[in-house]
Amino acid sequence: MSTTLLSKAEKSFIQAGLLSNPPSRADGRSLHDFRTISLETSVAPLANGSARLSIGRNPYDGSGGTEVLAAAKLEVETIQHGSGGVEGGKIACSVTCSPAAYPHLSSAALEDLQYDMTTILQDTLTHPSLHPKNLGILSGKKSWLLNLDLVVLVDSGNVYDAIFMAARAALWDTKVPRTRSVEYKAKKSGTSGIVGGGGKAGDSGGDMDVDEEVVSGFDTRQIQKATDFELPDYWDEGEVLDGRQNWPICVTLNIVSPVHFLDATSQEEAATPLRVLLMISFDSSQSANIQGMRTLGNGELTVSQLTGLLKDGEKYAREIWQSLNTKLKEDNIGLIKEKNKF
Amino acid sequence: MISFASFPSRYEDTTYEKTRHHASVKEDFMDIDDAESFEAQGSKLTCPGESLTSSQAYMRGHGTYVENEEVIASVAGTIERVNKLVSVRAIRSRYNPEVGDLVVGRITEVQPRRWKVDAHSRQDAVLMLSSVNLPGGVQRRKLESDELQMRGFFEEGDLLVAEVQAFFSDGAMSLHTRSLKYGKLRNGQLVVVPPILVRRLKSHFLTLPCGVDLILGLNGYIWVSKHVKENEQEGEEGFDAEAVYSNVNDDIDDSTRAAISRVTHIIRILTSRFIPLSDTLLLEAYEWSVEHGSDVKDLLHQDFGDALVVSITSGQ
Repeated sequence: MSTTLLSKAEKSFIQAGLLSNPPSRADGRSLHDFRTISLETSVAPLANGSARLSIGRNPYDGSGGTEVLAAAKLEVETIQHGSGGVEGGKIACSVTCSPAAYPHLSSAALEDLQYDMTTILQDTLTHPSLHPKNLGILSGKKSWLLNLDLVVLVDSGNVYDAIFMAARAALWDTKVPRTRSVEYKAKKSGTSGIVGGGGKAGDSGGDMDVDEEVVSGFDTRQIQKATDFELPDYWDEGEVLDGRQNWPICVTLNIVSPVHFLDATSQEEAATPLRVLLMISFDSSQSANIQGMRTLGNGELTVSQLTGLLKDGEKYAREIWQSLNTKLKEDNIGLIKEKNKF
Repeated sequence: MISFASFPSRYEDTTYEKTRHHASVKEDFMDIDDAESFEAQGSKLTCPGESLTSSQAYMRGHGTYVENEEVIASVAGTIERVNKLVSVRAIRSRYNPEVGDLVVGRITEVQPRRWKVDAHSRQDAVLMLSSVNLPGGVQRRKLESDELQMRGFFEEGDLLVAEVQAFFSDGAMSLHTRSLKYGKLRNGQLVVVPPILVRRLKSHFLTLPCGVDLILGLNGYIWVSKHVKENEQEGEEGFDAEAVYSNVNDDIDDSTRAAISRVTHIIRILTSRFIPLSDTLLLEAYEWSVEHGSDVKDLLHQDFGDALVVSITSGQ
């Protein structure tokens, strides 16, 4: 599926360029070069974590380039039959495409496209192996729902890589508020009082203004005492999301047999019969895990080709991974410095 | 292979170079008695929301609105006045067609007896079957068989160069390709620039000595392609429909390909700095880039682009 119109002559011009020796691309890059990627985190003040990413943006007038905005927002859910909460919390991803990014698409086609993107992101990021451990609040009662929303503002090619990088950056930036559980104890007089403590922060709390609840002193079924939670420090942003270094990135291998190339522009994408998306993450020992894989387009691929592509894809992913991590750490230091100014 | 950068600070370009007046100081652009001074101010840029003149003395045109008996600019652009009509021509806008303009367009739709063409204008342009060159003689009545094979001439996505012939009542433009210079495009790539940066030139078909042909569409679509020698152009003797409507590229050698890529880059560099394109400027820029940069890839660097712009604009 291509989102840009291209004439046959343009297609064959691009393909012939890729296949010539040495290969040449419209903007003079070599096959495995990326355009410059601009990234900043903590762009949305109301979100728990956010990032803005642009691939191939013209530094002068800000034109051109794929641009994606990602934001993560936490929401409290009750774990109950009928309501949405799940033990240990859950993640919901959604990708929205701005109509301005795809002016040639009808609204139905646009919906299809954003559904495809949402599915790929959701399937990859909600895999149990990636699930952060600190999304639970009260076991059996409350949990966090992490909404990860992305908006594709401009698409000039390689949108999947941009989406996954932006998602990783936003989740890296996400802070989960610290919580402390609150429990009610039946007093002899029949009214109930509150006692803080027993939560994650483990700090003992004072008296609070909480709706009172009458608990029967004879009820022995209730094993879990904690019924609600509070934020020990409203102004504290909280702790980082657990396992934030594990979020995968995506490498799109654009295949014009027998060569493949990275970071296609939208014209190049329209001239490419087959694209392979590899979602890869690296653990602490730097060994690669493939978290997902997709093919887009109607080209053909043999198994032997695929093994070669996987090997190459891992190599590219490692490079992207390392430079993205460096950038995120730099950004983090910059933000802390900015905060300490005040 | 991959490099990350930061976005520029969002607050860096908020300094205004223009002097700000107190609200009591009236700055009236129009002066009925002094039409010449208005002409001198003709190149002055307006800000959206800027008051231009009194609505009692003037009529509002495009790009303006009336509030509190004042004509106020609604876009950033240059002021134009025809008698009592004041309008503002926006700097960044879609292409405003005029009859006789040379444009490059892309077919978006094939309809009965006509093609819809995207020409960077507000509405899609129309190319009638009767205004293209049909195979078998230039002067020929169109037949039903022609209607049935319209996709054989142009199909969706095809690029073409054409001239603005006339306007329909709704303002859409009608194109024609009834010349051997016009028709389908191949052997190259398209660059899209803001239409205002393409100046009206004596000829919009340029040939650079590096073996590259350029078609500067007034609508901001620029076609950069391999040079085709005059005597090898299709349809020299008679009209060869097969060659004119062909979708197959010629063989393009590496040096030509590199030159096409280089010219494309130069155009991008110039337009990102908002420099209007002209044949001499492009040629100068090409020579400079060959002298100073060995590789097309060098052009991607920002410093290199800066140096290029400085050197060619200082020479003027």
